[in-house]
Amino acid sequence: MKKPFIAALAASAFSLPALAEVAVVVSAKAAESSLTREQVAQFFLGKSTTMTPIDQADSAAVRAEFYKKVADKDAAQAKALWSKLVFTGKATMPKEVADNAAVKAAVAANPKAIGYIDKSAVDATVKVVYTAQ
Amino acid sequence: MNKKILASLLALPLIAPVAMAQDNAVKISGFGTAALTWSDDERAQFGRPNQASGAADNFRTGVDSNLGLQADYAVNSWLSLTAQGLVRHDGEDHYGAELSWAFAKFRISDELSVRVGRVGAPIFMISDYRNVGYANTMLRPPAEVYSQVPFNNVDGADVTWHRDFGNTSVTSQLAVGTIKTPLTGFHARGKNILALNVVAENGPFTLRAGHARVKVTIDDLASLNTLVGSLRAAGAGYRLPQVNALADEIQADGAKGTFNSLGLAMDWNNFVVQTEFAKRKTDTYINDTTSWYLMGGYRIGKFLPYYTRSELKIDGAVNASQLGACPAGYPAACSATLQQLGSAVNRVPFTGIGQGEQSTDTIGVRWDFARSVALKVQVDRVKPKGNGLFINAQPGFAGPVTVGAIALDFIF
Repeated sequence: MKKPFIAALAASAFSLPALAEVAVVVSAKAAESSLTREQVAQFFLGKSTTMTPIDQADSAAVRAEFYKKVADKDAAQAKALWSKLVFTGKATMPKEVADNAAVKAAVAANPKAIGYIDKSAVDATVKVVYTAQ
Repeated sequence: MNKKILASLLALPLIAPVAMAQDNAVKISGFGTAALTWSDDERAQFGRPNQASGAADNFRTGVDSNLGLQADYAVNSWLSLTAQGLVRHDGEDHYGAELSWAFAKFRISDELSVRVGRVGAPIFMISDYRNVGYANTMLRPPAEVYSQVPFNNVDGADVTWHRDFGNTSVTSQLAVGTIKTPLTGFHARGKNILALNVVAENGPFTLRAGHARVKVTIDDLASLNTLVGSLRAAGAGYRLPQVNALADEIQADGAKGTFNSLGLAMDWNNFVVQTEFAKRKTDTYINDTTSWYLMGGYRIGKFLPYYTRSELKIDGAVNASQLGACPAGYPAACSATLQQLGSAVNRVPFTGIGQGEQSTDTIGVRWDFARSVALKVQVDRVKPKGNGLFINAQPGFAGPVTVGAIALDFIF
């Protein structure tokens, strides 16, 4: 009785945004081996188009966590910034996928794609270029 | 006709989910604002630049409400198509649909792209997204600056060059083309438009400089045509060349106009600043002006309260002294005619769209209370000189006027 309870507690602790580490990932075949926080932010704020950003769902905790740590923006600020780019025809909103696995699949399939996932979900199909603590 | 466009625009979101299911299909997105605007003076109406009527001692939905829809289609890695339609209360006093832009974008390299078709005229810092409430802090762009050029888009082409220098990214854009804008009962035509827009971004700072030039023609403006006609008749009848010269100066038929502006935006540690400074010069009756605004805000969680000061001042305008006097020995009727023309000429700087002087103090707050939706409340204290930028003013109107508005901005 007690052990599953502790395990559940521990698991819920890991899903708490404040404790999660976010890994920024690219295809294992991509040329990049590491990026700075500013470089990552530029792709996800539409300021550079050399890589294609992949977003997680609007409601995903990892998304809020990623934008806060990497771009110092909350979800609404990031959205307002993107709406400038979208409605001026400068860029289209990043593609949104359902979860960590979908990000890995999208990134693995496109050497120009860049995404972010919970660090615990990293595997050999992707390469970590930045880790946001 | 307009109802049909509106209906088809509104129907678009319904087909969007089907279209978006495929990866390379048409992407539909949209923005809108539902707003109520109110003013405390019944003798003049408060509207946005290029609206035929506005709020005056009553609640109006038309001043600040709009709906925009955009379709993007990526043909391949280097060619994409974009069209945006906007429905709002317009210069012809009803909700009208307009084509904001429709262009093909050719991506030549990571740094260089060319757009051909109808593109946004990059004249102000927030030119391209001034109607997207959700993308802005303020409820509406300050009219003192944004009334100064009536051209929102350009039929032609632009080239954009983007380059990173260390952590600073520089975007230069050059647009060329022509445009015709319907205003209240008349038209403004811009030919040989050339607009240069240079933006440097570094972290939380954005610095922007713009230069635009245009050959402007005003068509079908009855009061202007009458004045120019009367001046010419008097100039010819009394053989007064300076009167004809003034007629030439007032007439707007391919007259040169320039607009130079500087802008700065900052979003740093919850401090939000946005400011623009602009100079307008023309070779026609349209005033030479200096206009600016400065907005400062401080973000507290989901709330962003802000204060803005905006001013529009005339640097130079046509005036009656340019008429000179009738030479000695002329009939008395000559002086009477010049006097009459003189008082008409002196009204020009304060009559018509984007003319006049005005200042505004604004307080407001933006509240990001839900995903993709923001609520704004804004109060403006507007001090016009004469009628300022108010429309349909009645005799006795003087201001100052308090304007209040509440708006719901959304994107989808």
